[in-house]
Amino acid sequence: MLLAVVLLAACSRPEPPQLRLGTLLPSAKPVTEFQLTDHHGQPFTLENLKDNWTFAFFGYTHCPDVCPTSMSILAQVQRKLEQQDGLDRLPQVVFVSVDPERDSTALLSQFVPYFHPDFIGARGDTHNTLKLSRQLGILYGKAEDSAADNYLVDHSAAIILLDPDAALRAVFGIPHDADLIASDFLAIKAYYEAIQ
Amino acid sequence: MKRTFLALILYAWSLAATADAALQVENARVREAPPNAHMMAAYMTLNNTGSSDVVLTRVDSPAFGHVMLHKTEVIDGVARMIHQDDIVVPAKGVVELKPGSFHLMMPAPQKRLVEGDRVDFILTLSNGDTIRVQADVRKKP
Repeated sequence: MLLAVVLLAACSRPEPPQLRLGTLLPSAKPVTEFQLTDHHGQPFTLENLKDNWTFAFFGYTHCPDVCPTSMSILAQVQRKLEQQDGLDRLPQVVFVSVDPERDSTALLSQFVPYFHPDFIGARGDTHNTLKLSRQLGILYGKAEDSAADNYLVDHSAAIILLDPDAALRAVFGIPHDADLIASDFLAIKAYYEAIQ
Repeated sequence: MKRTFLALILYAWSLAATADAALQVENARVREAPPNAHMMAAYMTLNNTGSSDVVLTRVDSPAFGHVMLHKTEVIDGVARMIHQDDIVVPAKGVVELKPGSFHLMMPAPQKRLVEGDRVDFILTLSNGDTIRVQADVRKKP
């Protein structure tokens, strides 16, 4: 009898989805408090990650190749999800600067909405940027051979997915693909809703 | 006889020069960037139809302060842009300058470039040859 109950419970528990590109964390990792500012000059904190899904990408506006490519792909993901039936709310997309020294709020307000008008640019001091990036497994640092006035920044190129509990749920490594990210997102969202 | 021999030598030399300069540049494009972008990127296909390697050593453009040869490399998930002193296109080989790989990095655009604009580049090879290339500005490079 007990075995039957255990088996029934095991059968009814949804299986984690098989993702096409992303890596699903075995258990979601809640993010703790941080203080950033969005490209409108408003606070962007842990509260902004709650009650909605969030795609986060860490980059910098002087980055001509990787960052525009990933931001364009996230815009394609957003447009695919806009056409998806039954999706009551689109995920938010946040570009977090790994170069707050040069990436002013004004610069972010021109760079980020260029890719999609709803995208959010965020910057903070070194302490707060590191506080968030370390929790999400993002590495960054000035390239060693850069010129002082025109430096490059090495940075993790992953797209991060946070769930509506502000917890790290999945990571999408490079090279990114809009179709795969969109379908993985829908699978992760369905799984999340099934286990609530 | 001597004159014929000289003509043959000159003919052979001209063939060699043609082979060395046999770099076909295709699909040159510049990625449109957000307003006030400080840095832009360009991509193209370098197709060496010749029988000896071709080495791209320098690129100039009147549209930018300067042009650098770069390559994006992703190591353990971290993207790095590596400066290239030159780009070697092997004999009968193709090198793609494309997103996430080799590219031209251009700081200081002279003006905002948008889709539909055209940008001139001058490619200089190690043998001193120059190739003029016109690139389209595209939103999706």
